[in-house]
Amino acid sequence: MWLQPMVNLFKMDFRRFISNKMMYVLLMVFSAFQIFGIFMINQYEEPTEHGGLLTSAMNESQFIQSMLAQTPSWVMIYIAVFTVYFYMSEYNSGFYKNYITLSRARINSVLSKILIQGVFTLFIFVVFILSDLIGRTIFFEQATIGDIGYFVKLLIGQIVLHWSFSIMILCITIIMRNIIASIVISIALVLNVFGMVLGVLESLITDLNLTSYLLVNTITNRTIDFNNLGDFIHVFSVAIIVMLVFSLIALNYKIREDLR
Amino acid sequence: MSNVIIEVNQLTKKFKSTLAVRQADFKIYKGEIFGLIGQNGAGKSTLLKMIGGLVYPSTGKIHLFNSEMNANHPYYERMGLLIENAGLYPQYSAYDNLKFVAMSYGLKDHLKHINELLELVGLSRTNKTKVKNYSMGMKQRLGIAIALMGSPDVLILDEPINGLDPQGISDIRNLILDLNSKGITIIISSHILEELSKVATKYAIIHKGEIIEIHSKEELLLKCEDRIEVEVSDVKMATPILEEHLNIGNYKVMNDHTVCIYDSHIENYRIVNALVENGISVHSIMKHKQSLEQYFLERTESVVTAHG
Ligand SMILES: Nc1ncnc2c1ncn2[C@@H]1O[C@H](COP(=O)(O)OP(=O)(O)OP(=O)(O)O)[C@@H](O)[C@H]1O
Ligand SMILES: [Mg+2]
Repeated sequence: MWLQPMVNLFKMDFRRFISNKMMYVLLMVFSAFQIFGIFMINQYEEPTEHGGLLTSAMNESQFIQSMLAQTPSWVMIYIAVFTVYFYMSEYNSGFYKNYITLSRARINSVLSKILIQGVFTLFIFVVFILSDLIGRTIFFEQATIGDIGYFVKLLIGQIVLHWSFSIMILCITIIMRNIIASIVISIALVLNVFGMVLGVLESLITDLNLTSYLLVNTITNRTIDFNNLGDFIHVFSVAIIVMLVFSLIALNYKIREDLR
Repeated sequence: MSNVIIEVNQLTKKFKSTLAVRQADFKIYKGEIFGLIGQNGAGKSTLLKMIGGLVYPSTGKIHLFNSEMNANHPYYERMGLLIENAGLYPQYSAYDNLKFVAMSYGLKDHLKHINELLELVGLSRTNKTKVKNYSMGMKQRLGIAIALMGSPDVLILDEPINGLDPQGISDIRNLILDLNSKGITIIISSHILEELSKVATKYAIIHKGEIIEIHSKEELLLKCEDRIEVEVSDVKMATPILEEHLNIGNYKVMNDHTVCIYDSHIENYRIVNALVENGISVHSIMKHKQSLEQYFLERTESVVTAHG
């Protein structure tokens, strides 16, 4: 079947993915910092004058959304580091030379990497939620999830957004072919440097809030209500467009690339 | 002809300002061991990368198995590549590296195939060692094993004996001859003609991106035919005697005392007799064979001067 060569490459990448110490180290460090972060919030939290919701009183959905809206968002940083690492370790070793003669290998290797990014995004969200629940139980002495339906919608939306973010980083890495440069660009993206510059420029010209449709702005937008159909469509259309655009650029680049 | 496996026409590759390969034209037939010889930077790797589908030609065409190649053509699957360094994950063992490749090929019977390959290149006993702890020669052997994954019809080996010890060189040479006898067509590059001469059936000399000569093994050996070096008291007096008495036209005066005769059919004693009879003392006479290396150096040097 025409899909088989891609499945074969994915199996190979997946084996490297799960047998890779770096992946576990990243997830463990992420989890430790996540729990430590909750400890710190618990230590220094003070009631706000406006009577805003205390972090320690949030349910899981609210807590996740507030974590993801932080600048910088650690979830995005870990995803970026993993993406650059996983692609560049193959590129720098030259291992692709061993399968490049396979039919449609260039296309399939990019598609397989995109799927691996999806798996990693899934993994980091699982670790994210487990760490939050553990940390909140220990330090906030509560770990309510809130409305399960909302929680699931939020998770699906954010996972798809983060997956599309990782595809954007993959595309940048494929083109840069350099670890440092890719990481620097990724961090600039996570800090939303481009989003803020564009936002300022936009506010000078028009009242339309088009920059809210930028990927990082969508991820960090606290006001998104996943129960609201409009917001839900906003999230999915941003994610899908980013995925498509950067996948196509990455594929197109890979097909033409002169390999070392 | 149907047994042309690889044909390249006017193949050219330009990297920004460097012309790495310039208008290469040749055919490789089934069962050949095609030796590509050139100095560092001559364009060997670039040419092999184009044939292997890693690098796209700037202009020109490649035909594999009589089909014109474009990107991602399935015929590339019938090739095994070892180009420049073997592409290996340093933090994994030889076995794991082979296993990854086997998975990408979708091979069912991994274990047997991997063990056979490890056996073939002599790495069975160190198959659990991480590749980062391998020596250069061991990595090279593993690279050859990987290139053989999936039983290719054509094997492209770019400087495969790089970093191998004499035993390794001889092992790999035997392996190449053995694979060839099973019908695999092999392209092998080197910057040492002497080494290639032990395996190749055809030779292409590449210099500054240009294929300057292609010879069969027989032609090359003829080119490097014998010469007789004669040391005499006076060369100026000796040469007319060679011409008149022995009818030798093909000679070259090397210095005041030495002359080289490129006609190995003449017996040494006839030369000595003719010279001595005419009052010239012969200090020494020696039959020489021009080494392949000398031949190669002369070719590439003459091209250097010809191009200014
Ligand atoms: N990716 C690239 N970008 C720019 N120039 C390149 C690239 N690859 C090769 N070249 C240039 O092309 C020329 C030929 O290089 P190539 O690697 O093919 O030589 P080679 O014959 O394999 O040499 P060696 O014996 O050192 O392996 C060199 O001048 C090299 O600098
Ligand atoms: Mg080379």
